[in-house]
Amino acid sequence: MILNRRTFLVGTAALAAGASVSVPFFLPKYHSVRRAKRSRVAILHVEQYSQRIDQILASGLRLFRINVQGKTVVLKPNLVDYIPGNAINTHPTLVLAAAESFRRMGAKCVIVAEGPGHQRDTELVLSQSGYRESLRDEALRFVDLNRDELVRTQLRASYMGMKSLWLPRTVLKADFLVSMPKIKAHHWAGVTLSMKNMLGVVPGSRYGWPKNILHWKGIQESILDVSATIPVHFVIADGIVAMEGNGPLNGTARPLGKIVLADDPVAADSVCARLMGFEPDRIVHIREGAKFLGNLSPALIDQLGETLEAPATPFQVVPEFRQLYAL
Amino acid sequence: MRLLAFRLTSASHQYHFLTGEGFHIKSAAVKDHLVVLSNVLAELRRRQLPSGGWAALLSSAQASLETTCLTTLAIGSQDSDDQRRAQDFLLRVQNPNGSWPAFFGDDQDGAWVTSLAVIALRDFVTAMPARLSAIHWLTKCEGKESNWFWRWKFRTADRHVRFDPDKFGWPWIPHTVSWVVPTAFAILALSQLPCSCGSLEEILIRVDRGIEMLIDRACAGGGWNAGNSVVYVSALAPHPDDTAIALLALGNRTQHPVVQASVEWLEHATPTLTAPWSLSWAILALAAHGRAVESLITSLVALPDLSGNDDTCTLALVCLAADCRRALAALGANL
Repeated sequence: MILNRRTFLVGTAALAAGASVSVPFFLPKYHSVRRAKRSRVAILHVEQYSQRIDQILASGLRLFRINVQGKTVVLKPNLVDYIPGNAINTHPTLVLAAAESFRRMGAKCVIVAEGPGHQRDTELVLSQSGYRESLRDEALRFVDLNRDELVRTQLRASYMGMKSLWLPRTVLKADFLVSMPKIKAHHWAGVTLSMKNMLGVVPGSRYGWPKNILHWKGIQESILDVSATIPVHFVIADGIVAMEGNGPLNGTARPLGKIVLADDPVAADSVCARLMGFEPDRIVHIREGAKFLGNLSPALIDQLGETLEAPATPFQVVPEFRQLYAL
Repeated sequence: MRLLAFRLTSASHQYHFLTGEGFHIKSAAVKDHLVVLSNVLAELRRRQLPSGGWAALLSSAQASLETTCLTTLAIGSQDSDDQRRAQDFLLRVQNPNGSWPAFFGDDQDGAWVTSLAVIALRDFVTAMPARLSAIHWLTKCEGKESNWFWRWKFRTADRHVRFDPDKFGWPWIPHTVSWVVPTAFAILALSQLPCSCGSLEEILIRVDRGIEMLIDRACAGGGWNAGNSVVYVSALAPHPDDTAIALLALGNRTQHPVVQASVEWLEHATPTLTAPWSLSWAILALAAHGRAVESLITSLVALPDLSGNDDTCTLALVCLAADCRRALAALGANL
């Protein structure tokens, strides 16, 4: 074959075009690695929502070396909507117990903040789900993240293909951010745990109710980009009564009797997934998050409190997520 | 006594309110209402930002367009300084493409609040060019399911959310699908058009299609939520505020069975509401559909510490609900 100048130029151009299309698929989509060498997760056994949660949670938190002295702590529960009888939201008793614990640990200020994704009237969700009265009794400030002041924030990962998102100042300014998910199966994401819970910070006043842009950009991708951009310092997951089936709203209550604490959201979610009877590395955002946000492998997680045991009967999921079941 | 309307003169802080017998005060209860509303209006004026807009929350200094538009409607009288500053603000922050941003400083792609701005500027003659430009943007803005590809996808591959993709309305932001609240406000805004507007036929087609979309997205048994009535075979419950806003846009479809069922659902749900946002929207919608709302207004203004509410948007809405006839006229809802 004779390689003339024209063939050479055409070949080079084709090679460059091919590289420009294919290389992005092989490059990491995260901009920095935040994964610690080891992570710690504690499973606490709690049968029901009662006053005892205060003591159990306080003793659980002592297993971690948390320093919130003089810091602003923001608690981000999962507060989506209210449907009587459905275990949709992080229980207010647990949120109050967490606030009390962090206050006792010397936090300068504890704020509860959430931007419900389905319901525009946050005040209605707060009052119907029992939050409003509890917050008032404990003099806890609540910030509606759907209407908070917004700051354009460069994303620290590019799974969605967006460069930036408008995000609430309250969350961005937090010294210590605690994700407090309700352990639930989810019909679009497989599970909704501490990482998925962070999509609640995306403001409805900018992106709508529901935050439809995240569905169009991909739920798993959105979870990764938001988790990469907003560091979660601690996780307190409510699995006392969890949800299986058609979550996040219309699933079935599943008493699990657990609270999961962790200093790493990926480790927290992988342990929660195992408690649900799932293989965490089959959940896209947990598997991908383990590359740069935290630890998935049990070998890299120090298990505190109770030992981790998969349930005899795994959580039910919608048919599209049956591949999550552990073999 | 039936309170038909009230007005606050800002200079003296005196109320002139209209009863069946004319302008005067006749009962202590009404007087109490007026004191509460006077405080709420005073608080709204106090919260106006130097830019002329209003932030969504008391703790924020970032002007929100939804809050600014609702407060502009709530304050009412056109000759006040607050109103002029609000109008100037709205005209100043309009995007070059005719839309309005969700908040001051936002990107310039546009947002659903464009419809609210068109409504809020209705009585300002000098705002007519801005409104026409916004209407042009609104007629071009449509839910993503209006595209044949996404319609095909929703008909074939993506059938977990039940809706008819042929019936589309308006999205919260461009490049997403249609939802109930932005569609309802767009219908209200476009229904207020002066007849001389150029592309009237196109607008009427969009309004009719938007109405069809609202009817299609209603929950089983009446009412609306954000716009998903069924997901994964499960019927989702309606929300009072979404239902009320949809009903405002459907004020001239009172005989439609979906509208009738939704009014009944809202009428049944409203007496137990204690959240001022939902209760206010419900009052406006029920009044628009000819239901008695006096006792609901009494409940609304009796809610504790209204003027201390952190959410300025809710405060504006409380004022609108308490003066619902004027508010409905301003929103262009059927009376």
